[in-house]
Amino acid sequence: MSVVESPATRPTGGPAPHRAPGRASRARRRRQGASTPWLLSIPTLILLAGLLGYPLIRMVVLSFQNMRLRELLSGRTPPWVGFDNYTKVLGDSVFWTVVGRTVLFTIVCVIISVLIGLGIALLMRRVNRGVKMLMIVAMMFVWALPQLVAAQIFRWITDSDFGVLNYVLNFLPGVNFDNHSWFVNPWQGWGVITTLVVWAGVPFLAITLNAGLTQVPKELVEAATVDGATPWQVLRNITLPILKPLITIVTTLSVIWDFGLFTQNWALRDGHPEPVYQTLATYSYTQAFGQSRYSIGSAISVITVLLMLGVMAFYIRQMFKIGEVD
Amino acid sequence: MARDEGVVTVGRSMAGTIAANTIGVIFSLFMLFPVYWVLNTAFKPADEVLALTPTFWPEHPTFANFTSAFKAPLFMQDMLNGLIVTVLAVAGALVVGFLAALAIARFSFYGRKAIILVVLAVQLVPFIALLIPLFLMLQTVSLTNSLIGVSITYLVLILPYTVWTLRGFISGIPRELDEAALIDGCTRAQVFWRIILPLTGPGLVATSVYGFIQAWNEFIIINTLNSPAKQNLMAWLLQNQTTRGTAWGPLMAGAIITSIPVVIFFLIIQRNIATGLTAGAVKG
Repeated sequence: MSVVESPATRPTGGPAPHRAPGRASRARRRRQGASTPWLLSIPTLILLAGLLGYPLIRMVVLSFQNMRLRELLSGRTPPWVGFDNYTKVLGDSVFWTVVGRTVLFTIVCVIISVLIGLGIALLMRRVNRGVKMLMIVAMMFVWALPQLVAAQIFRWITDSDFGVLNYVLNFLPGVNFDNHSWFVNPWQGWGVITTLVVWAGVPFLAITLNAGLTQVPKELVEAATVDGATPWQVLRNITLPILKPLITIVTTLSVIWDFGLFTQNWALRDGHPEPVYQTLATYSYTQAFGQSRYSIGSAISVITVLLMLGVMAFYIRQMFKIGEVD
Repeated sequence: MARDEGVVTVGRSMAGTIAANTIGVIFSLFMLFPVYWVLNTAFKPADEVLALTPTFWPEHPTFANFTSAFKAPLFMQDMLNGLIVTVLAVAGALVVGFLAALAIARFSFYGRKAIILVVLAVQLVPFIALLIPLFLMLQTVSLTNSLIGVSITYLVLILPYTVWTLRGFISGIPRELDEAALIDGCTRAQVFWRIILPLTGPGLVATSVYGFIQAWNEFIIINTLNSPAKQNLMAWLLQNQTTRGTAWGPLMAGAIITSIPVVIFFLIIQRNIATGLTAGAVKG
């Protein structure tokens, strides 16, 4: 990690020796050493177990019960219904449409973001210093904006009556975007959402990948260029292979983030996404808190987590593999 | 020409450089446009905001939108709530997380890998999925519609990242320092107070700022658990839009006020943010 460079070099006055460690105290230390790490970890583990682990179990339990508003208000234990919720959800074509939409959005969005991110990262090494600075500053501002604020800005820009997007597009010859509503046609609406997510996601990707590019040895690239390799060949045979572990990680993270899309479509649709703008996350949320079908919502959440499990396991394995976790 | 270390300059054409610079500038303008547009809107008087021909500069710049955002119902209340909830969550996560980070970074013990696995895995669990049981749980102990309930939830939300990042910072302190101190007769506790804690200072700042951003930006949980009087500014932005029509000017001003602390904090610690997520893959 390149996070702290200073500690190693900073002068630290070694603490003055207090007493010579006797044999007894050393033995005590060793015994202490065995339980200390667990004592230190206990508060974290309790909190994670209580507010992540227990809800996770509760979510699974809930998905086998039938929790409605009546049970919530009376505090009675909801009746067990076995796999009813799952049969209901899995037998519902609406659910499968939502799954398909979420998967399609994730694939499209991740591919576009990673490609643009990689392209910008490479571009940053080609431009003048001033332009590079401008690019970094621009991306930092976008990266720093809260998701919800970014979504609100996009909602304003694409507003049908006073949005600047329609105004600007009207300058194109032969088109009329007066009062054009971007969310009537779902393809256009999803185009806006995708643009927002890509726009907000590119800074992380480009800046991280650009940092990774410093690992590519200069001599290697120069030698290849002198030997007559085209820039494309250099990219394919030198740069990308070296960058591969990093690309894998940022792609995996992008998949996890985009698959859980909630804020953007939620905010752009005023907190009431129409059926065509539902993703798995908003769908489960709407079922639970919009329609008080807590059990159906839980079942959808369980399925969502199961769908994500493969990707998550891959990410964690990757983190272990690159040796950061040892 | 760029003269950065490691940038290859062999075999580069002038035309290519010009093209690259042009694309770079266009890209930057495209990225910045929404940011510019929110500022442009926020300083316009109401009639200019709703002009059919939008102007690219406020003709009569005004702070009216900002004052009306501050005067809007619940704005100050929600700002205060957000601050309380965020500070409680960050402080709690820092104390609790530091201990666990210390355990993972400095001790080798049976179960260490399991703890790392848990910390990494829970970062990936979509929190929205847990919202239903969480809501029901907090409901039974009467912690919904309370700042305490949300604070605890946020604490847990930022805890895994806190542990993970602090672990990295502590690992960065050479173990030899600990060992030297131990040989000189320090106890474990003294090593902690005199070596690890002071040297982790910058890491604690970076981690807490990141936690602050996370908690400050959250709105789904607080919007679900609490009524508007006990929400934060993000949720306020969301409420604001559901009233009849949208007052774009004040909304954009509110969005700017809400973003300012986060943007400033982010720009200060941006170097550290990506490292926690991709640590090890970049050997900068």
